[in-house]
Amino acid sequence: MTISSVSTQYLGTVMLPAVTQAQSQLTTLEVESSTGQYADLGLQLGSQSGYELSLKNEYDQMQTLTTDNAIATTNLSTAQAALDSIRSGAQSALTSLTAMTAVSDDASTLQTLGSTSLQALIGSTNTASGQQYVFGGINSSAAPLTSYFSTPPSSAQTAVDQAFQTTFGFPPSSPLASSITTTALQSFLDGPFAAQFSGANWSSNWSSASSTNTTAEIAPGETITTSSNANQPGFQQLAQAYTMLNEFGGSALSQSAQQVLVTTAASLVTQGVSSMTTTEAEVGASLGQVTQANAAMSSQMTILQTQVGNLDDVDANSVATQLNTLTTQIETAYQITAKLQELSLAQYLPT
Amino acid sequence: MTLSSAYNIINSAFAVTGAQSATIARNITNASTPGYSREIANVVDNPYGGADVASITREANSALLDQVNSSTSESASQSAIAAGLATLAQTVSDSASSTSPSGATQNGASPSAMLANLQSALSTYEADPSNESVGEAVVSAAGDLTASLNSGAAAVQQVRSQADANMAASVATINSLLNQFTQVNATVVNGLHSGADISSAQDSEDSILTQLSQQVGISTTTNANGSVSIYTDSGVTLFQDIPQTLSFTPSPTLTAGVSGNPVTVDGIPITGASAPMAVQSGALAGLAQLRDTIAPEYQAQLDQISGGLVNAFAETDQTGGTAPALPGLFTFPGATGVPSTTQVTGLSSQIEVNPNVDPSQGGDVDLLQNGGISDPGSATYTYNTTGAAGYTGRIQQMVSAIGATQSFDPSAGLGASDSLSDYANNSVGWLQGQNQQATDAASYQSSVVTQATSALSNATGVNLDTEMTNMLNIENSYTTSAKLLTTVNDMFSALMNAA
Repeated sequence: MTISSVSTQYLGTVMLPAVTQAQSQLTTLEVESSTGQYADLGLQLGSQSGYELSLKNEYDQMQTLTTDNAIATTNLSTAQAALDSIRSGAQSALTSLTAMTAVSDDASTLQTLGSTSLQALIGSTNTASGQQYVFGGINSSAAPLTSYFSTPPSSAQTAVDQAFQTTFGFPPSSPLASSITTTALQSFLDGPFAAQFSGANWSSNWSSASSTNTTAEIAPGETITTSSNANQPGFQQLAQAYTMLNEFGGSALSQSAQQVLVTTAASLVTQGVSSMTTTEAEVGASLGQVTQANAAMSSQMTILQTQVGNLDDVDANSVATQLNTLTTQIETAYQITAKLQELSLAQYLPT
Repeated sequence: MTLSSAYNIINSAFAVTGAQSATIARNITNASTPGYSREIANVVDNPYGGADVASITREANSALLDQVNSSTSESASQSAIAAGLATLAQTVSDSASSTSPSGATQNGASPSAMLANLQSALSTYEADPSNESVGEAVVSAAGDLTASLNSGAAAVQQVRSQADANMAASVATINSLLNQFTQVNATVVNGLHSGADISSAQDSEDSILTQLSQQVGISTTTNANGSVSIYTDSGVTLFQDIPQTLSFTPSPTLTAGVSGNPVTVDGIPITGASAPMAVQSGALAGLAQLRDTIAPEYQAQLDQISGGLVNAFAETDQTGGTAPALPGLFTFPGATGVPSTTQVTGLSSQIEVNPNVDPSQGGDVDLLQNGGISDPGSATYTYNTTGAAGYTGRIQQMVSAIGATQSFDPSAGLGASDSLSDYANNSVGWLQGQNQQATDAASYQSSVVTQATSALSNATGVNLDTEMTNMLNIENSYTTSAKLLTTVNDMFSALMNAA
């Protein structure tokens, strides 16, 4: 046989592999044009699949974090609103106290101011967001401050009255209170009474909050505190000032002793307002971090999406062109096959 | 020269045209028979001035046939590997979504994607630790992850068992082909001695060799007496006057760490790492590579991921004591401690979510947050000592454990140290890389086979037009001979009449 020889069997089937291949390519292209992605990503990407998957996982993680950050944002905003109301309450109490310094005979007004303010403080501190108490620290399932006004009297109230009784030998309601000197009252208020609002007394009688704040990951590798807690000095100072007014505002104190009471309370409220401002600033900072993290993640997610798209997505134009080319190719193959079938010497021989 | 010798010469012409016509008829009949080699009637002139058909030869081309056979072997081995890898790759494949190009592809059910889901679920739990339903979502994500590892391991086992069964089938085919070859070879040798027409026997020989090279790579030599000897591409004799028998004991189940039996010829293994003369190509070689190398390597990677998971989520002594670390969220039946990287063989088919934390098995989801999954109620493994509802320390540890660097057994082929998530990603990359290579190689080899087969068919096959042209020639020759015969006859008649 010569070099240019062609067997009839080959001639009959020459277009077959081309048609089969083009048809299988056609199905692939149809999938690609409808989904916009490679028909078989694993086969297309090969060993890059791991990289592509890591990009997608990173993207998913950021999406989850962005969604979860809504919880942190809600908690922090709730805390911020509560702190706001506590601070403004304290400021108006301070205004009343300053006005009352001049007035001497309004003992019951002092007590009312103390009780309403204390109730408002406890109420705001026990604010919950969903099931979580926002000032509970990690002990978020229990109300941070125990109710002061209750029957029988709360342990906090009992302890305060007990301290008064121990120091002076009679209860606050006793008429004997008029005999208390300014020095004696001052040292009681700064000593045994103040001790009720710190350390073990505070945590056993007043607060069930944990001093450890909750934390959450708001962006990959970035963890912030997402709550405050009722053991902050601001809460203690305000509770101390309001309790002082509530318990002893109605006592039969001498005018000068009452003056000491009002001055001490006013000074504590001032300190409390300043502490609250600090706490509020911390919460605000956390909120700002969440917003920033969300913005940063959003732009990172766009980049990740683009990178994944670069790997996964087919060029729609090129797919359309390839589809056209393939269709033409298959049609040509059919025509050639038909022509080849006609090419036989037998057809041209006289019968 | 006499008129009567002209008779004889014309007679030989008829004999020759007859033989040639028969050859052409055979060629035309077999024009579409794959592997049929065109036959040629060799005509020589004889001493009396006439012509004889001296022999019928086949248009054989052993170089091209060898090429077809060797490319067939390569293609068969790559196809076997590609088919196995495609099955494995399905367990990790992404599925394209219709929402592209947003990039929101479904990540499939690979261990890597499931691990990322678990990480996301843990992140959500960290943000909302007092919400029990979020904790249950973590447990269910962990369940998906173990299911993905279990099904990956099952796929590996299935691929290996299937390869083992296919090897048994391949060995049976080879043995049967060698027996057929014995008969055909004997026909050829005898035919060469007796001078009989052996073309069709030789066609059969070629066809058997091509079928044989599907199963195993071969090389052949033809001996002086016309007998063909067959060797594997590694040089082991398969046929030399008598056929060798391939033996193989199939293994019905091939669990992790259990290697299948080798194929042996005369007691010598021809597959497997220990084989001194292992076959290089053919379906048998591809299947053996799949069963003994590729699938076990992927199994080892799955086992390493499983071991890494048990280790990453293990609970340690929180009291400052020296109690051993115990499996936490992820465990395996009969666990008494955490396994080292070299003790994890087969772990991927056993790994499970600890029943102590799985509410569907009577467990307590809160243990996820508080610790003590390994030993509920024991203070040793309790992380949240105060029982605070907002405690996230343990959850944070678990989230960071997924991204923390830990050690792996380098023999699994993915390095000795990596984070769990990267290791899982790399495993997917490894598998898809192998899949891509094997598929590319298989498709390339298959086109080489097509080309080699075309070349062989063109060189040795039948062209109907050629045969037709020859037929016309023979027809003319016959017509002329007949005319000659008439003329000679007329001359004789004239002579007779003259007398």
